[in-house]
Amino acid sequence: MSTNTTTLPGKFHDAVERWRERFLPDYSILLDNWEKFFPTDEPFRLCAHRECGMCTTIEVGDEQGKPKYTRACEMREEQAHHLLAAIRAQASTEFGSIQQHQLTLARAQQEQDQFWVLRMMAEELRHGYQMLHLLLDDDWSSVSKESGAEIVEEILSMRTGSHVLGAFNIDFDSFVDNIIFCALIDRVGKYQLSMQRVSAYQPMAESMPQMLREEAFHLATGVVPWRRMVEDAARGEVWVSMAVLQKHLNKWLPRGLEMFGHEKGGDTNVKFGLKPMKNGEAQDAYYQEVAKMVRDLNLRFVRARKPELDHAQAHAVLERLLGGEVVEGVARPEELLRMPHREFFRRRGEPAFHLVGVDGEVFTDVEEYVRYLSRELPEQYLAGRDFQGFVEVLRKLVAGELTFKEATAASPNLRRVGGVCPCSKSVRWVVDAPGNGDGAEAVHDGQPRA
Amino acid sequence: MGDQTSEVRIRPVEELDIEDIAAIDEKIGGRYRPEVWEKRLFYYLRRDPEGSFVATAGGKVVGFMLGEMRAGEFGMEEPTGWVEVLGVDPGFQGRTVGRQLASAMLDRFRAQGAHRVQTLVDDTRPQIEAFFAALGFHPAPVKALALELDATKRGS
Repeated sequence: MSTNTTTLPGKFHDAVERWRERFLPDYSILLDNWEKFFPTDEPFRLCAHRECGMCTTIEVGDEQGKPKYTRACEMREEQAHHLLAAIRAQASTEFGSIQQHQLTLARAQQEQDQFWVLRMMAEELRHGYQMLHLLLDDDWSSVSKESGAEIVEEILSMRTGSHVLGAFNIDFDSFVDNIIFCALIDRVGKYQLSMQRVSAYQPMAESMPQMLREEAFHLATGVVPWRRMVEDAARGEVWVSMAVLQKHLNKWLPRGLEMFGHEKGGDTNVKFGLKPMKNGEAQDAYYQEVAKMVRDLNLRFVRARKPELDHAQAHAVLERLLGGEVVEGVARPEELLRMPHREFFRRRGEPAFHLVGVDGEVFTDVEEYVRYLSRELPEQYLAGRDFQGFVEVLRKLVAGELTFKEATAASPNLRRVGGVCPCSKSVRWVVDAPGNGDGAEAVHDGQPRA
Repeated sequence: MGDQTSEVRIRPVEELDIEDIAAIDEKIGGRYRPEVWEKRLFYYLRRDPEGSFVATAGGKVVGFMLGEMRAGEFGMEEPTGWVEVLGVDPGFQGRTVGRQLASAMLDRFRAQGAHRVQTLVDDTRPQIEAFFAALGFHPAPVKALALELDATKRGS
């Protein structure tokens, strides 16, 4: 494969570098230690890549077989509008995740884990840079009152709480969050990038291959340490337990599912040739993939607990445990991780605000459900704004003080409420009025509004 | 034994295949080495996530082939495809799993502009050499040399 490499115009490149100095202060430490941790890999470079030799005809949708678009102004207005929303959302997630990871990066127990996360953060910065490149390399005036430069400025001013997608507005509480986030939320990213690889907008499609190559490492940054933690837990180490890992799985999986958009949406993106799968199809595949990962983690647990078992024996033991049987000398069923039900702890999409437990059990009393959630989610998370906001909205919805539509729009989020300067103190916690919310993930075909 | 009735499919390797690949390695070699396969697989995923392959049957991984394009190896400047690791579940050997994996990998190398593919085989496992010979591989004018460092004087 070959790629064309470019950088943003000087002032925008410098703006990203300034953003990096503020939100990725350990960048120079990463570069200084690159040879030690990544001796076979090319040194990191902040730039945009465009893959050469990709398909030049539209691969899905109404215009399948026609030449792909190279400029936004060639596209139908609604089509370009959806595309711009996707680029903006993608950029927001890349910068947003760096801000989240930075919060707890220093708490890593293993130096390798810390440097893997640090590298992943640098690559997320490059992914954000890639999206800014798309915004600045085209003229978006046909679909946006804001220029590409203004959209870039807005994206660089976002903070945890003001990002486009909910998963990127939740503070991390421990390094376990860094790990589980990479394994679950970056996995959604892999799906989005894979789908956007066929985009009818050629620059978007050409941006994806290098991002996907890097995303594989991001998943490893989550899955590999998670496996170690499971093995440590099986051996009785005290710094992590399966119960803690389960609670973090419960915290993040619902947000990952919601990132695909409403289960019934996504038709328009397919029709416009921007993605090959509807939201529900992609979410199904994601859920099955995470289930496979959880099963593998449980197998690791069994093998670490009883190393003398061979592959077939370990599988047989795992099946018995998953069937609810206590296997003497190995484990009890409740020691394993279990896959949260798809309707558990949801605030967007079809099952939003259903009172459903981790195992699919249905609650009828909201207070009982809130107490249940407080047992099934990480303790530190309960004290944060995200969970408190969810509970407040849920109570009002059940009491009839909010409609469903109002509830999905009512999650508090940080938003710029005046001024355009990213340095201004114009970011405030706001709650949208009904119909004006970022229920975008629920109501807008899987793509937030631009 | 594997499910002999399932159709074999080939797809690019994914990070969640590690456990299945480690299981095939364990069936062949008798050792469970997931850490080894984590390192190897992520190396290949980083280099080219669509350049290494697994074979599945009934949704289960039954074989894998890892490789990559490199230039400059052993003084050979032209981009060359390297087939580096091959494993087939013993229950699925004899079902052309390896051949299908090789076909996908050779197609990938061709698409990337390679005119030559190389591999190294262990002299003590003639069945591996026979497999590659059946694909059209032939002896190359390169000889593998090795030195056991434990047998030399260190620091001299």
